[in-house]
Amino acid sequence: MKPRLSKRQFLAAAVAGLAAPYVSAGAPSTPVTAGVPRTVELRMSWWGGSDIHKVQLAALRRFEARYPGIRVRAEYTGWAGHLERLTTQISGNTAPDLMQINWNWLVLFSRDGLGFYDLRRLPGELDLAQFDADSLAFGTMAGKLNGLPVSMASRLFYYNATTYERAGLPLPTTWEELFSAGPIFRSRLGPEYYPLDLNLQDVTAVGRTWLLQRTGKPLVDEQGRQLNATEGDLQEIAAFYRRLVDEHVVPSVEERASYGNVAPHEMRSWINGRYGGVHQWITAIGKSADTLAPGQRVELGAFPLRSGAVDAGLLYRPGMLFAINASTPHPREAALLLSFLLEDEDAVRAMGLRRGPPVNARALKTLADDGKLTGISWQGREQVRALPNQVRESGFYDHPRVRDAFMDAFELLGYGRLDVTAAGTRMHEDVNQILRRVIR
Amino acid sequence: MRVVAPSAPVVLRERAPASLARLRTHLGPALRYSVLIALGFLMLYPLLWMIAGALKPNHEIFSGIGLIPQAPTVEGVAKGWKTSTEYTFSTYFSNTFRIVVPKVILTVISSVLVAFGFARFHLPGRRLLFGLLIATVLLPKSVLLIPQYLMFRELGWLDTFLPLYVPSAFATEGFFVFLVVQFMRSFPPEMEEAAVIDGCNSLQVLWHIVVPVIMPAIISVALFQFMWSMNDFLGPLLYLSSVGNYPISLALKISIDVTEATAWNEVLAMSTLALLPSVLVFFFAQRYFIEGVTLGSVKG
Repeated sequence: MKPRLSKRQFLAAAVAGLAAPYVSAGAPSTPVTAGVPRTVELRMSWWGGSDIHKVQLAALRRFEARYPGIRVRAEYTGWAGHLERLTTQISGNTAPDLMQINWNWLVLFSRDGLGFYDLRRLPGELDLAQFDADSLAFGTMAGKLNGLPVSMASRLFYYNATTYERAGLPLPTTWEELFSAGPIFRSRLGPEYYPLDLNLQDVTAVGRTWLLQRTGKPLVDEQGRQLNATEGDLQEIAAFYRRLVDEHVVPSVEERASYGNVAPHEMRSWINGRYGGVHQWITAIGKSADTLAPGQRVELGAFPLRSGAVDAGLLYRPGMLFAINASTPHPREAALLLSFLLEDEDAVRAMGLRRGPPVNARALKTLADDGKLTGISWQGREQVRALPNQVRESGFYDHPRVRDAFMDAFELLGYGRLDVTAAGTRMHEDVNQILRRVIR
Repeated sequence: MRVVAPSAPVVLRERAPASLARLRTHLGPALRYSVLIALGFLMLYPLLWMIAGALKPNHEIFSGIGLIPQAPTVEGVAKGWKTSTEYTFSTYFSNTFRIVVPKVILTVISSVLVAFGFARFHLPGRRLLFGLLIATVLLPKSVLLIPQYLMFRELGWLDTFLPLYVPSAFATEGFFVFLVVQFMRSFPPEMEEAAVIDGCNSLQVLWHIVVPVIMPAIISVALFQFMWSMNDFLGPLLYLSSVGNYPISLALKISIDVTEATAWNEVLAMSTLALLPSVLVFFFAQRYFIEGVTLGSVKG
């Protein structure tokens, strides 16, 4: 303690003269709660869009009314920069008491399970019986429950039903129907119409699904620090993408690039109904449906399965989790807030399905009683439950460098700089090299 | 320093017939201005698109590049100003100025003082120190983030505006010092020597002689710092955690999420408003800038 205090004194003295006139002008600095009896101030952070912010703020106000001794300071941002900020806060030991985290951040901050508070130590505040074992397993790192999932997310196939009606086709239910829709779209609607739109990240996901339906193994082998796929397997994925483009199922990289670097749901061809489908998370499909020009509607399509598929090959994981700061001075109060947000009827009603269909059984019952479990994201959840879904993908599949290596190879393949064989080889070499480096 | 007037096409005029000459005098500028206007429009198009986008409904924004909204609406402006937070946009404007104004003032004072030292005093090790200063310009900002964050945490300055402008008081922007030093080197020290003979001390020389002459450089420094600080995203993102302290740059992104469709018309409307101070300051300062240049060049 001693050297730290003297360092603080030294720094304070060094800038005291300069800072003095400004200190009063600044915002209230970090409050010292010691002197005030029984009022606990919690900090909570989350990211989201405008709807989420409004609903979340209202829930916090209700929480404060319910527990008058606790005040909650909201620290929220959009998606951009949230991870950077949280990284700084965690390394500076100034992270909020309660925070929303992404599932693959667990491997960044808490590989040993000590990066966040072990929620099993708070049985009085958190009712873990409301969660199924599977979703709790997703939040567990090295035997410690680090985060509670809000919702479970998967990537499914959603289609613009209006466009399919114009093409005179039912929504595809198998890979064969999807492939045969390409030429029909071209001949009946025109060459600028496609049954599906995939950016390179989606291509990686769909390619992974295609392979997994045959192999039944997760793509990343975390223990072996390598891909669970041979060079031939990856060449199969590359050939699969080549076929999607050649048979006019998805637009080529050149065509997509001609619209500029725009998010898929903001691409002109999606808005106007020329791209007939997306491979989207059930928690995020709302944005694709919202941006469509009026008069069109999005429907969930059946998940295509290869004949003899052992597993659907879904990407399945928590859409987001809530975690408690490992070094918070108020773990019990933070857990009360967490429990309130996940279970309180008003909070649950207001949030609805905005963060995806809830995992918490009590929340689910509240929404079911209100008849709110409808719509394309709920249908997606039901579809996932009906599919063979046993394979659990490693969090390192989502590592930014792994993702980029796949996307680079697909891009070179798309532009014809590599052929199918070379693209598969490249993925095999690059991704294995990266995995050896990032899994420690 | 000398301003060279653009040479007009006067050579051919005497030999040509009168009517042709008149045509030429009109045709030249007409051609020049139409090219300039066309190019100017092209350059300004993204800006105009942003203003037009603020008045469009969302699905229209990405479906065409036209400027005229088919169904114009001011909903984006009203909702954007109200924001999805507990505060209106006026809070974010005022926060921005509470950061930017002290930052610009401190930057100008510290950079000019330090530059004066480097340009006019022959301290031992001056070259080495100046080299170090320039080296800091080349240092990537991101390597300093965590150590600085820890330092400000120790000072208890997190979630205040202090970490965002106090460093400017120590001439931390080596680029600005370099700019002012180069400017000072471009004019002779005789005036200052005369002032010293008249009894000025160093600070009086700086204030009465040097500062008026280097005014264009000072304006440039202030202008650059103003615009960079207005646009700074990472600094406020890391140091400010309470939403009530956010500046405009953070507030604009607060509703852009990956799971929800973004109301771009609100974002564009507020971006347009957020641009106004920069544009006004630029136009205002431009006059002084030119004035400063001509004043400095005419007579010593």
